[in-house]
Amino acid sequence: MSNNGKKKRIGLFVCHCGVNIASVVDVERVAKEMENYPDITFSTNYVYMCSDPGQQLILDTIKEQKLDAFIVAACSPTLHEKTFQDVAKLAGLNPYQVEIANIREQGSWVHTDKEKATQKAIKVVKSMVEKVRANESLDPIKIDVNRRAMVIGAGISGIQAAIDIADHGYEVLLVEKDPSIGGHMIQLSETFPTLDCSQCIMTPKMVEASRHPKIKIMTYHEVESISGFVGNFNVRIKKKPRYVDEDLCTMCGDCEEVCPQVVQDEFNMGLSYRKAIYLPFPQAIPGTYTLDIDSCLGMWPVRCGRCKEVCEPNAIDYDQKEEIIEEQVGAIVVSTGYDLYTMKALGEYGGEKYDDVVNGLEFERILSASGPTGGEVLRPSDGKVPKHVVFIQCCGSRDPENHNPYCSRICCMYTAKHAMLYKHRVPDGNATVFYIDVRTGGKRFEEFYQRAVEEDDVLYIRGKVSKIFQEGDKIIIWGSDTLTGKKIEVEADMVVLAMAMVKSENIEDLLKKLKINTDESGWLAEAHPKLRPVESLNAGFYLAGCAHGPKDIPDTVAQASAAAAKIGDLFAQEKLLHEPTIVPVNEELCSGCGICVPVCPYGARTLDMEEKVVKVNEVLCEGCGACAAACPSGAAQQRNQTDDQIFSMVKAILKG
Amino acid sequence: MENKKVKLHYYPGCTLKEKTTNLDDSTRKSMEILGYELIEPENWTCCGAEFPLNEEKIIGLAAPARILRQVKIEGEDKVFTVCSFCFNVLKRTNEALLTDPLKYKRVNAYLKDDIKINHETKDKTTEFPEYEGDVKVYHLLEFIRDEIGYDKIRSMLKRDLSNIKIVPYYGCRLLRPKGNMSIDEPDDPTIFEEFLENIGCTVLDFPFKQECCGSYLSVSMPEAATEASYNILRSAKLNGADAVALSCPLCYYNLDRRQNRIKEQFLEFMGMPVLFFTQLLAWALGVEEKILGLDQHFCSPYSVLGIDDKSEVKI
Repeated sequence: MSNNGKKKRIGLFVCHCGVNIASVVDVERVAKEMENYPDITFSTNYVYMCSDPGQQLILDTIKEQKLDAFIVAACSPTLHEKTFQDVAKLAGLNPYQVEIANIREQGSWVHTDKEKATQKAIKVVKSMVEKVRANESLDPIKIDVNRRAMVIGAGISGIQAAIDIADHGYEVLLVEKDPSIGGHMIQLSETFPTLDCSQCIMTPKMVEASRHPKIKIMTYHEVESISGFVGNFNVRIKKKPRYVDEDLCTMCGDCEEVCPQVVQDEFNMGLSYRKAIYLPFPQAIPGTYTLDIDSCLGMWPVRCGRCKEVCEPNAIDYDQKEEIIEEQVGAIVVSTGYDLYTMKALGEYGGEKYDDVVNGLEFERILSASGPTGGEVLRPSDGKVPKHVVFIQCCGSRDPENHNPYCSRICCMYTAKHAMLYKHRVPDGNATVFYIDVRTGGKRFEEFYQRAVEEDDVLYIRGKVSKIFQEGDKIIIWGSDTLTGKKIEVEADMVVLAMAMVKSENIEDLLKKLKINTDESGWLAEAHPKLRPVESLNAGFYLAGCAHGPKDIPDTVAQASAAAAKIGDLFAQEKLLHEPTIVPVNEELCSGCGICVPVCPYGARTLDMEEKVVKVNEVLCEGCGACAAACPSGAAQQRNQTDDQIFSMVKAILKG
Repeated sequence: MENKKVKLHYYPGCTLKEKTTNLDDSTRKSMEILGYELIEPENWTCCGAEFPLNEEKIIGLAAPARILRQVKIEGEDKVFTVCSFCFNVLKRTNEALLTDPLKYKRVNAYLKDDIKINHETKDKTTEFPEYEGDVKVYHLLEFIRDEIGYDKIRSMLKRDLSNIKIVPYYGCRLLRPKGNMSIDEPDDPTIFEEFLENIGCTVLDFPFKQECCGSYLSVSMPEAATEASYNILRSAKLNGADAVALSCPLCYYNLDRRQNRIKEQFLEFMGMPVLFFTQLLAWALGVEEKILGLDQHFCSPYSVLGIDDKSEVKI
């Protein structure tokens, strides 16, 4: 610990950060006062330590002064710790002999009193001297990497990520819980702002994924459990029985014709019906029928068995069982998508009471050429052409008090698209949109919205709708026009609610297995909101698409490709390097009480019942220190953050 | 062998002693049949009828707090009401005392000055415990759902009400503010429907069930209240109802007693019977007609209940 008993020669470099620090903290005084502190052999200040000349100054000083360690008093270590560790490496010093004293975020930025801020800065620097004095020289932990990826969820984000990873030359498992890949995008009619047909641009992607020699598509599969760590995950995947042999099924449709069970069709958002044995949609991949066991009369030939009787290729197999498949992968993309907020939550809009009040995805199906009406705009209740359609934005979004606090981002654009497409199909109809703000912050989005208003005569009313109810065959909408300050009542034939996007239903179970954090709204949390937007904090997991937050298709595709590129980075490395500042166990002190085991959020600690000590998986340990705080005997000591170090840091601060 | 009656505190509120004795009488009779002996808190006063929204108007909380304190002094921890306004005021007073330490302090400071005189001995009592906001306030609809249970009600029905096509009218006070002040989900309530179904009525849905009847605007801006009430009754009619069920005396005043004004303002209006939910309950439990006070209604409800109309048709 004590560097073989030899005293360390420690350097101190105090940064002005322009005026960021220097305007509040007397940096010169900090450097001056610290000159006489024990073990400080050199102390100076400079205007920008992170600049090239600043780094050069440190580099030269290390050599001239034969420094064993140094401290940079500057900004938060999250910003420049790595910069200065690299300087240490260049000078032949172990990077763990570098410490950052944060006098900016926790100093100058939060204080105004120059005298007190300077005194505090001095104390912070002193505490870091105490810490660095006992720092050990450490080497990163090296791990092998399994160059295979798994993508969970095969919507546009999952498919794009899978194709990109596969194009890098790595194998990909594309796991999807539904019978076909495609996700929500394949349900859409046309896409903004170009109005190209969603199916026309989606199906080539689906085919590309299915034909790619490096991609293994696993539809009707669910992730059962995940263990291991970055580069070395063991995954158990549950294969749900389809009761139809994918290889034998010729999609002739004979089974569907004879099936007596009729249920609502999920692909058409319940606006049409399908049989219990069904093809989700014509372009489904894999091209095979699936028997929905929950709707089936029962697979005993005594009860029904008609599908099996008529199946010529003999593809139907009632004896299929659930299977568990084990796979090893090195990285995982989570692209589990979104769902729409339930209309039931909006009692003032009738919940789901009125047939002619539909959500955005239902309207997509009504507009879609492959939808239940063949692309003709007909309202669900009586199949008539609606002559006035009212669109309501922000249904359940931007309402922190009652629903979701966030903006769902895509609704302004798809509502403009809906209104536009409706006007194209029903030129003598009227389209009215209620909005709070129209947010068109994407490339060519504002132009698209203007086109809806100016060329297609869509009427935009700024205001919220307070109530929707049915009177006869009309839907009455009560709202306010906040530009005129008037209460208004509108009669419509059909209403489309732009329901908020919410996290996928039942995603919690999966996330628990993956140990991925979410934000307060349930969206997957990225490692850094600006600088690491496609990685999870949990190493080896990458985020793509709406599972991470509401996104349109261009952003989703961009994020999926970014995640794939990040995985390319990971797989390009010969060995993975892991931070060595972990918490090992001093087996002589460990009594095997096991308190630290459940405390560990990463599952890195296990109790060895035979030896009665705790064992640590060094690769899983992220060095959070929770176990060190919990350990009653002091056997769990974090490297370079030991109890001794912390006590001497506290003492240095309290001494004044 | 007669079961012993369960004692239960009941706060009727002033309107029930004056303008809507039909609501009071039908409540008492129904609860008696259901096995309760109703006890009014001693020396009760008006609850104030309107919860003071002005943060500074603490005095408005003194009367309801005093009523609830009296229930506590009498050794009870719950009280029920049938008037939506009383329910709202009492329950919100509890919430204010429980969540706002300053209000708690100031209200109890007012209550300290309370003097109780024993009229026989002329003794004065001035020592009262502080009221902490802990007497549970039930609306009868809640009490039936949570404490009596629909099963029990169903097992005691004496009359078939299935011919009565009725819509429940909640008004605002039962449902707002939302959260723990509301007896049900404010935008999609079902408690009133459940109650009506369980006493055997044919319940219909109508979109105006939570709309305001105009409330006290019937004093300051009568045309506005008349229009609001008309819209409610019109919607009930459009949705096929024979009658409207409600619990609030003020809604009853606006929706029933003022139907002559509605008729003046909206010539096509043909009248719509309005009944308190307790009248329907009492009727279903087999209570005789005269207890229901049907003659107090402006729009005759006799035919709705299948009784020969003895009164003069007013509309």
